[in-house]
Amino acid sequence: MSNYFNTLPLREKLNQLGVCDFMDSSEFLDGVNALKGKKLVVIGCGAQGLNQGLNLRDSGLDVSYTLRKEAIEGKRDSWKNATENNFTVGTYEELIPTADVVINLTPDKQHTAVVTAVMPLMQKGATLLYSHGFNIVEEGMQIRKDLTVIMVAPKCPGSEVRAEYVRGFGVPTLIAVHPENDPEGKGLLQAKAYCVGTGGHKAGVLKSSFVAEVKSDLMGEQTILCGLLQTGSILSFDKMVEKGIDPAYASKLVQYGVEVITEALKQGGITAMMDRLSNIAKIKAFEISEELKTIMRPLFQKHQDDIMSGEFSRIMMEDWANGDKNLLAWRAATGETAFEKTPAGDVKIGEQEYFDNYTLMVAFVRAGVELAFETMVEAGIKPESAYYESLHETPLIANTIARKKLFEMNRVISDTAEYGCYLFDYACKPLLADFMKTVDTELVGKNFNEGKDGAVDNRALIAVNEVIRSHQVELVGAELRKAMTAMKSIKTA
Amino acid sequence: MSQPVVHIHNLNLKYQQKPVLQDLCWTINRNDNWLLCGESGTGKTTLAKAIAGMIPTLEGDIQLNFDLSSPLPAKVHYVANWYQFKDLEGASNFYYQQRYQSLATAITATVIAELTRFGNDQQLSFEALERLLTALGFAGLKNSALLQLSSGEHKKLQLVKALWSKPQLLILDQPYNGLDKLSRKNLNDLLTEISENGTQLIIIGNESELPAAINRFALLKDGRLQEISSPELPQQEVEEIIKPLPSFLQREILTDSAEHIIKMIDVNIRYGDKQVLKNINWEVKPGEKWLLQGHNGSGKSTLLSLISGDHPQAYANNFFLFGNKRGTGESIWEIKERIGLISPELHWYFDASATVWQSIASGFYDSSGLYCSPGSTKHAQVDELIQYFGLSAYKNTLMNELPLGKQRLTLLARTIVKKPAILILDEPCQGLDQQQTQHFNRLVDELCKDGSTLIYVGHFESQLPACIEKRILLEDGAVKSVEHLLQSI
Repeated sequence: MSNYFNTLPLREKLNQLGVCDFMDSSEFLDGVNALKGKKLVVIGCGAQGLNQGLNLRDSGLDVSYTLRKEAIEGKRDSWKNATENNFTVGTYEELIPTADVVINLTPDKQHTAVVTAVMPLMQKGATLLYSHGFNIVEEGMQIRKDLTVIMVAPKCPGSEVRAEYVRGFGVPTLIAVHPENDPEGKGLLQAKAYCVGTGGHKAGVLKSSFVAEVKSDLMGEQTILCGLLQTGSILSFDKMVEKGIDPAYASKLVQYGVEVITEALKQGGITAMMDRLSNIAKIKAFEISEELKTIMRPLFQKHQDDIMSGEFSRIMMEDWANGDKNLLAWRAATGETAFEKTPAGDVKIGEQEYFDNYTLMVAFVRAGVELAFETMVEAGIKPESAYYESLHETPLIANTIARKKLFEMNRVISDTAEYGCYLFDYACKPLLADFMKTVDTELVGKNFNEGKDGAVDNRALIAVNEVIRSHQVELVGAELRKAMTAMKSIKTA
Repeated sequence: MSQPVVHIHNLNLKYQQKPVLQDLCWTINRNDNWLLCGESGTGKTTLAKAIAGMIPTLEGDIQLNFDLSSPLPAKVHYVANWYQFKDLEGASNFYYQQRYQSLATAITATVIAELTRFGNDQQLSFEALERLLTALGFAGLKNSALLQLSSGEHKKLQLVKALWSKPQLLILDQPYNGLDKLSRKNLNDLLTEISENGTQLIIIGNESELPAAINRFALLKDGRLQEISSPELPQQEVEEIIKPLPSFLQREILTDSAEHIIKMIDVNIRYGDKQVLKNINWEVKPGEKWLLQGHNGSGKSTLLSLISGDHPQAYANNFFLFGNKRGTGESIWEIKERIGLISPELHWYFDASATVWQSIASGFYDSSGLYCSPGSTKHAQVDELIQYFGLSAYKNTLMNELPLGKQRLTLLARTIVKKPAILILDEPCQGLDQQQTQHFNRLVDELCKDGSTLIYVGHFESQLPACIEKRILLEDGAVKSVEHLLQSI
């Protein structure tokens, strides 16, 4: 198998990277009809598998689960998830031959083995559904020509997929049809019906391609979403301790601060996040985020280049073959950082205090979101796709840090994201060493406004606001958020 | 003569910028146990929270004088009429259907873990706990997850904590909500007992079945307190003429062609080893009016959740809705479209960040929160219903800024706005005063005149709609009896 993207001529590469269509709700009037009466068999029953299955069944579709023999015999959690919610569970041999649609919701790393095992059992003309394109694009998995290959990727954790559905709404979703595998031309209809089945059609659906999804997803998760949040959190905590701030306070500020700050991002983009600061703090955060962008741009570009060339997946797959040696070592090291090991103190931090005392993180988030977005768009990814994989997902990841710090974030995200996150983190920390020497507690740990009179020059403020508000991620975001405004705000501590 | 336990002088308090309490004075002497009554929204909860020190008092004075020689903790314990529990990670982002989903409930602590935490915090003796659990019929729930408890069971958990900690002053805000008859009696006995041992009581509510210890009665009206001689609310100018139903609610219900709206054959529900419904057989024909009864924890909400499409185990049972077996291609939204549902749990998990108007309009789509824009016909219908329920002043107010009684009225309007063929009303009048309850039950009678099917759950037998004609009684998850009621109850 070889990297699918690298086999394409340049024109076709750009063509597939550029698939990006925010779908109108009228596209979904046919409901679940394209899948009605069909047998849907889900491989894997983790958080995404179970919750998507519950939604599909409640939408009137026929859902069952197939698991590896060992999982069934060992009555593992996946088996319990499925049986205790009254789904039929069977082995690959029992269920795959009856399936009209096989839904692969296993972890990325298992895709090649799983797809290799199920493909010969699939009936002629069936459909294989992925929620991530890594296997097709990076590993170059070849799928039998009679099979249709589609992707439906809800852009939220599995528990949210369920919670939003039963509330009568849904979560934003990305869909795609693999151009090499759409022999009957039914791929898009089935992907749309699947979206209706999980409720995604109510919250905004972006039609993408396998290629665009993978290249933007990898970029987002390793730079702004996980990488920079990890780097920024560790550097902020260490700085506060170095400057004599109470470690318990510092731990709480970092653990919950990023969630509170990015909640503003979710509601109203970079603009809303920056507007939560006082005028003087906003100008300062703007200045240091510009500086951060200059320092980190080459690193963001390197990540994007390695993703586009396939170099990133090559070295990661080497590590897979090596028993995850690097991944496990990095994971252990993250667990040993002072931030991880210092419990959040029992101190009350007000919502506004998270902004006023953590201006540095606001600057990190602005720099990271804009850089990730700009780098992706320069590489040929459309702005809407780039928005989803940068700004949109940042609050979701921040929520995992609030729950149980970085270790939890890295546990929840995929191994692929985790691997990329460590790569970024290890390269970024030394890059920021000189910058961090200039940072004092007014930017992290203490209220930036304290002891300052708050006066600003009108023209300076207007100029800063203008730059923030007219950035392309803000223009695209305002449009896309309209479709998602009803999403419940994530509750913060 | 000892000092009064509570002395309130010229207290002024605002709720959401509106004055609620005005120059309120109240003296609570030792050996006084009060009932505080008043219409919904008069400020009873605000006053209680002020006494408990939970909201700051900027104008006026509240003095508390505890008996420092007493062995009882010198503090006020306030049992809220509403509370939010959290999962093990401190979040409370639950959704209504989550408690029915297998393995989804392990994210909250168990009852016993929560009580152990509380007991250790307050340094209480665990010997006293067992007796309380038994007296409130709670002993069997020790290993249940908090998320699995029904609203009545959560109320009991709050009460167990309060009775266990024996504070010098105990304020109970609507403590009887969701409790069955036996639990109400046992609670009253326990309250009398702790009051004999030195705990003073303030009960907020409009009930007439009270602990024997209650000896003073106060009515809160127009921001002030007046002492009254008995728990009866003074007879208000009852609106004799019932307003005619809005015309859009008067249209005929198309009678269902199916012979049975609901048909359950040996229905069983279990979570792991715990069986909550046992071999339920039940048939409901179109147009029938049912009363569903049973003790707290007898399985009523679970049974109703099967009907409303909210229980995943519906798919594993021999169970027919509208003549179709569940799990044969229907979606839960097709089911919900025909049902108007309200329950304490629905209220509990409802998205309270929407306005009154949006919440009522969401009834057209069976969603918690409004995600699409209703057309002009529906728009006018919501407006009409808001007026009918006397909610015009709160049209654009967020639900979480309203007192519980008004929230409940809003959700009742939401329940009927689409004129559903089946009404499932699970303790619909919880938190309403007697007059509002009477009004609503008469409205139910009106609505059901033309062929709607009704399933009603109510713990207070004096507060039921007149149209009820059949009763099903559950006990420990099984059907104990099914009977025709010859005359209205």
